[in-house]
Amino acid sequence: MRMRIQVPSGSNGFAEDKDEARVLRIEKLLPALERGEGILLDFSKVNYATQSYIHALVGEALQKFGDQVLDKLEFKNCSASVRSVIELVVDYSLAGFPDQKAV
Amino acid sequence: MPKLIIPNSVVLQNVRAFIANNSPFEDGSTEAVLEFHPQWVHMEPIALSMAAAWGLWAKRQGLPLRATNLGRQTAYAGRMKLFEHLGIDFDPGLAEREAAGRFVPLAQVTTSRDVGRVIGDISALLHLHEDPETLSAVQYCVSELLRNVLEHSHSPDGAFVCAHRYTTAEPHRVTIAVADCGQGIASHLGRVYPEAMEDHDLALGLAMRPGITGAMAGQYGTPDNAGAGLFITRSIAKGSGGYFFLLSGNAAYRLRRARNDDEMSELYLDAYDEPRRDRYRFESPWLGTAVSVEIRTEKIRDYDNFFQWIFRRIPRRETKRGRIRFT
Repeated sequence: MRMRIQVPSGSNGFAEDKDEARVLRIEKLLPALERGEGILLDFSKVNYATQSYIHALVGEALQKFGDQVLDKLEFKNCSASVRSVIELVVDYSLAGFPDQKAV
Repeated sequence: MPKLIIPNSVVLQNVRAFIANNSPFEDGSTEAVLEFHPQWVHMEPIALSMAAAWGLWAKRQGLPLRATNLGRQTAYAGRMKLFEHLGIDFDPGLAEREAAGRFVPLAQVTTSRDVGRVIGDISALLHLHEDPETLSAVQYCVSELLRNVLEHSHSPDGAFVCAHRYTTAEPHRVTIAVADCGQGIASHLGRVYPEAMEDHDLALGLAMRPGITGAMAGQYGTPDNAGAGLFITRSIAKGSGGYFFLLSGNAAYRLRRARNDDEMSELYLDAYDEPRRDRYRFESPWLGTAVSVEIRTEKIRDYDNFFQWIFRRIPRRETKRGRIRFT
């Protein structure tokens, strides 16, 4: 089983509404992962996103399930900047920022 | 008396003097006064957003607010809707024009929906549809700064934001400012970092480091906060060679413009390690937080690469990036 989540476009393709990300996380992403399902996050409507948005969307899943969750997540149709932000959030969510102890 | 004096020039170059010469939260009066220079006033967004936030603070204290020396010199403040927000009757006149450029007038932001509205207006008001790199950077900074206020400041009046695009005088740039009269950074971080409560300068340094948040529940932030917003905002200013300014309590931090491309490319995780930084302490505190970011439009280049650049500046650790599935 794999759930497809269409990430909303936000304002002109700018995804920044953390409240919206939180709802997706709590209502769709985390319950699906708890059930052991895979998730496809489709960013086709998003040109760029804030780090806060991506963190609110996937940060908790990364911290809760660790790097194993990467086998369950697929990031589709990401622009170059969205891809960079996802990499940044995955990196610090799993390894911490410098001067912090890594998990 | 609570009084905010706007001298003939308030720009990021001389912002220290503006703050040092004011004590806007003094007790012991039955009114608050916003005093403009009688002949000439040049204000950047930082002064406008602070004046609006302070005016609402004064009203919240039950103090009648009075403005003095209104005239031609305050027409720009009028067009930026300062007096409208403060409930002061002043007609700026439609014929008045100041420096060329475009602006986002002052907006009060108290809800998430307000943030979306301001961001949606930026492209048209700043005429940035043909400069998507700058537009992306401006929208990013505005979003992060406003959401910081909504989530952490406990400001009853929310935040005031405005922006100006300067297209004639060099350097060409967009300057953004966000101000509030909420609890301030030290109080916010103090719940997790008690030492921040004792030292505003230390609190600012913590707030600008990645991974530090007063909302922190675990080692890498809460599900909704990683504590990286101010760090990335500062990085965007740095990466375009622009100013970054942060004021809270009796401390302020300023990153000056880069003098060349080499200076722009060096990013420090600790803002206090930046060679072109200034640290200020003031006798009279700002009861809240004010931030200004300058994005130099000729230097922004490739927005998409900004995060790669920031990423490269963070010391390499064992990473799982290679396992992320992008399709």
